[in-house]
Amino acid sequence: MGLDYTLVLWNKHKKTYDKIIGFGMLLYLLVFIILTLVLNPETTAETMIIRAFGSLAVLMLHIILIIGPLSRLNPQFLPILYNRRHLGVSMFLAALVHGVFSIIQFHTLGNVNPIYAVFTSNMDYGSLTNFPFQVLGFLALLILFFMASTSHDFFLKNLSPKIWKGLHMMVYLAYALIIMHVFLGAFQQETSPFTIGIMVIGFMLITSLHLISALKESKIDGLKSEKADDGWLKVCGADEIPNDRAKIFTVGKERVAIFKYDGKLSAIHNVCKHQGGPLGEGKIVDGCITCPWHGYQYLPQNGQSPPPFTEKVVTYGLRLDEGMIYINPDGFEEGTEVEPVKC
Amino acid sequence: MEAVITVFLTILGIYFSLGLLFGLYFIFLGATKVDPFMTDSKKKVRLLLFPGVVATWPFLVGKLIKPKTLN
Repeated sequence: MGLDYTLVLWNKHKKTYDKIIGFGMLLYLLVFIILTLVLNPETTAETMIIRAFGSLAVLMLHIILIIGPLSRLNPQFLPILYNRRHLGVSMFLAALVHGVFSIIQFHTLGNVNPIYAVFTSNMDYGSLTNFPFQVLGFLALLILFFMASTSHDFFLKNLSPKIWKGLHMMVYLAYALIIMHVFLGAFQQETSPFTIGIMVIGFMLITSLHLISALKESKIDGLKSEKADDGWLKVCGADEIPNDRAKIFTVGKERVAIFKYDGKLSAIHNVCKHQGGPLGEGKIVDGCITCPWHGYQYLPQNGQSPPPFTEKVVTYGLRLDEGMIYINPDGFEEGTEVEPVKC
Repeated sequence: MEAVITVFLTILGIYFSLGLLFGLYFIFLGATKVDPFMTDSKKKVRLLLFPGVVATWPFLVGKLIKPKTLN
């Protein structure tokens, strides 16, 4: 959270993380080039650059796509999730090198506009085996450009979190295009079972991790709450919630996080206003509920970010009866002060 | 098919050309009008935001011409 914008929000951990990304990318390129020189020495420098950066971008995209479900399955992966933005921009740069070199090598020799040539040099759009795969790569690169260029808090705020999130969810469309780009393209020329195997394993890994984490999420939504006579919902015992932490429940159609702190209980809507992070998976830091994704904070008793920040979330009424917590399913307006329940 | 490609690339070209113009306006004049938090931000930040402004200019133009509401 900040009151102005900086070039890059670096801290000690982020710098370390960025060094790992940079070193990892260099190491991959080095290994790729050495292996190519040993196994396929007749490969030209341009082809080597195109393949090295293309495969690097695909590898990085797989890592990016598994971070989300991994961190939902195991909180130890959360620090990587917080730093995913820089990994995404680095992946785009690798894909850009691949795309630019490909266009220079294959589409700049004629007198046609190179971008136009990408779309028209092969017009066999009706064929599966000879489909112009370059077009798929170009469209994927366009999506990645939109995502990488808006990877800054300025855009999150000014496009609105909903539009920003929608834009960045297009990574899955880019992934589908890239999968087809690789299968239809590279495999038209190179049918190495190793390369096909790696791509299939990557696809299965991403799909299965997303399914497993979705199953875990659905268990939260499936938790049944007992309804009292006055319409309030009996959710759990106060002793089931650890100190300075929360338990998440589905109330109506909304997820609500009930926090325990300083011998008190408060309930707020589970979704952070910043990027939709799960507030109930965060903890109380300096008296504030702190989002596990990017550290946005809210006061537990009123769901408001501490001044001068202005974010607000819905709050809920609670009561304690014989050690059991009851919640009013009708939430209050965002930022409404609710007296915490003593426990 | 060629006609579809020509129309698509022409629209794409116009979109990014207008985006470039708006991006230049954003860097030199419009940044603080779009977002008051840009007042204290350095020129480097505006340059960093330039590609994203080019990409998403319709949303930012909408924000610029939308009447300001009090929170």
